[in-house]
Amino acid sequence: MTNEENHPAESFAADCRAVAIQKLRTELGHLRRGQRQSVRANGVVSTGIAELDDILPDRGLLRGTLSEWIAAEHGSGSLTLVLRAASQAQCDGPLVVVDGLRCLYAPAMKAKGVRLEEMILVRPKSRTDGLWAVEQSLKCPGIGAVLFPVDDLKTQDFRRLQLAAESGTAIGILVRSMSAQKQRGWADLRILVTPIPSPARLFCRRLEVRCLHAKGTLTDKTVELDVCDETGAVCLAARLSDPATALRPPEAQINSVRAVSGVGPPNAGRHSVE
Amino acid sequence: MLYQESGHRTQVVTASSEAVRHGIGSGMALVEAQALLQSAVFLPHDADADRLALQTLASVCYRFSPQVGLEPTENTPTTHSLVLDITGCTHLFGGDSGLARQLVIELAELGYFAHVATANTIGAAWAIARYGHGAGSARRLKSLPVEALRIPEKLTTRLREFDLRTIGQLLALPQETLPSRFGKVLTERLDQMFGRRAELLIPLPRPEPVFAQWASDDPIGHPAAIRHVCADLLTEVLDTLKSRGEGLLRLTLTLDSESTAPATLDIGLAKPAESATHLLNLIQLKLEVTAVPEWLNAIRMEASVTAPLQTQQRNLFGLQESTDNGSVRRLVDRLTARLGRDSVVRPNLLPEAVPEQAVEFTPLAEIVSEARSAPAPAIASARPLILLPQPELIRVTFTAGDGTLESIRWNGCCYPVAHHTEPERIATAWWQETGSVRRDYCQVETQAGARFWIFRDGNGNWFLHGLFE
Repeated sequence: MTNEENHPAESFAADCRAVAIQKLRTELGHLRRGQRQSVRANGVVSTGIAELDDILPDRGLLRGTLSEWIAAEHGSGSLTLVLRAASQAQCDGPLVVVDGLRCLYAPAMKAKGVRLEEMILVRPKSRTDGLWAVEQSLKCPGIGAVLFPVDDLKTQDFRRLQLAAESGTAIGILVRSMSAQKQRGWADLRILVTPIPSPARLFCRRLEVRCLHAKGTLTDKTVELDVCDETGAVCLAARLSDPATALRPPEAQINSVRAVSGVGPPNAGRHSVE
Repeated sequence: MLYQESGHRTQVVTASSEAVRHGIGSGMALVEAQALLQSAVFLPHDADADRLALQTLASVCYRFSPQVGLEPTENTPTTHSLVLDITGCTHLFGGDSGLARQLVIELAELGYFAHVATANTIGAAWAIARYGHGAGSARRLKSLPVEALRIPEKLTTRLREFDLRTIGQLLALPQETLPSRFGKVLTERLDQMFGRRAELLIPLPRPEPVFAQWASDDPIGHPAAIRHVCADLLTEVLDTLKSRGEGLLRLTLTLDSESTAPATLDIGLAKPAESATHLLNLIQLKLEVTAVPEWLNAIRMEASVTAPLQTQQRNLFGLQESTDNGSVRRLVDRLTARLGRDSVVRPNLLPEAVPEQAVEFTPLAEIVSEARSAPAPAIASARPLILLPQPELIRVTFTAGDGTLESIRWNGCCYPVAHHTEPERIATAWWQETGSVRRDYCQVETQAGARFWIFRDGNGNWFLHGLFE
């Protein structure tokens, strides 16, 4: 009897709690959206690639925030995309590049659109100096972007950089290796760049760009891009049909596609854009 | 176009070459010039500002000669030239032409396009700099127009009325008749040009060095005490400079100790500074990264390089003077003070084929102006964003049949090759100082999609030189 009497009261309390939690969630969502909108009002810098902007929650990189670009492996092409975004930010102020390893090659940077005459290249002799330089540059109001290739970054150093970025107007870009994906970070945006085998075309390669994390939003979007190293052109990857399939008679192709997809006739053109 | 009021008339003082092509010259009424070329920019002439700017440039020229003076102004109302006595100095700069070349470069960095000439007399050098080129030989001087004699414009006009257009024509006349016909000035200038009459160079007084020092028998060692002393010395130095209307471009701090050797700190600035707070921050940053003696008995602070505050010494990023640009300059100062001049740089591209020689780095503290940066050479082929400081030896395997690249082994990992480009030969001549280079580069894409830049040297060894990140 007692259980039967208590049950409606408990369920009522649980309902109230659920409603309250839902209400709080909604308010928190509004608050975050409001914060993002106020930050967005400060300015969003495009990455210079419309297709890449599309997968980012703010359609670009927010000023006063850190973004983390993770390269899946050596020679993956992440820096190519990063420099394109950095060159866009040069419209707002100089680009600071903190190159601790002293291996960034200026002629190639210029070819990617970076204006060298509007660049401050810092070549620190120690890791501590490098972090200090990044922190100072992020805090400086006249800087457009700060680029820092770094692998080993302690949590407290990361937090320091994030606070510095928030106090300035530059976009902070950290270029990291795959090991960083397992570490916790303070960046507002975490992007993974993975090379994928491309059609055998000289100077052209294909990258898969995935937005792993964006602060305040749930996002996990991916885009495939074709990058031409010679011309610097970046475009959405075109999906070519299997060459072996393409060489077969049209009827055989139709049957093959029907068998795989279970739908009607495939697209007539060879190029189907994703 | 510059103009000034002269009596009841406003006349043109100096006109650009384009304005001259439209028939405008100095002495022309401003109204007439405006009618001829309405699109021109007309600005009032400030002779005092010109003189001040020349005096600033004179301090730069002391590097080339101990005797630097302004152009003598006996017959000309304004002065536009600096005169250097380079006797005994040229061998230090590779001869007359070497000195002239370096002087032009030095002044170009300050934003001036200079006409420089070397000759045996002031008159000849002046004439060649303005109306000729090359060495000041007698034959060349004779071919110059009469305007090259530094004579008043009225006299020039009169000479032209007699169809006397060149100095050679004047020399062909009986010299004893010239004073009675055209006045003493003409003969005097001719004699000065050809060394028959002495002309004095009156050197500008060199500015007194500005410094302040502190010394005590009781040494100090606490950072706060050192900072306090530095603040006092800085105030003294800045007060002196302020009275001269100058700011600091470089500050030298010498820290003396009885027990150890003195330490010297050199702090460079991107623009003439007068802010004690900013300078004190830079000193603090420099002290943090410099090994200073534990106990200090004396501190000397000297303004090594100064510049007038109203002079815009540099504009680092071609931006308009603004708060943001000022903050960027202060950032450059801070970074340079702590990390050193060679660590805060700007890359300059060079037309070199060898990749590691195609770029040089200029400290930002040394970049004075933006406008003179040379156009960057075009890059013919794709280059990697990451260039290894030293090429790393790799192992390469080829397929047995057609001998194409199969895989490369680097850093303990094997990368199967999907495809690669045709070789690009980079070779230099054997007589180059850095030695001959002969490399066949190619881009290699692995089956995973990564891209490397590898080369084979003359001995058949393969190296990894870059990564297309």
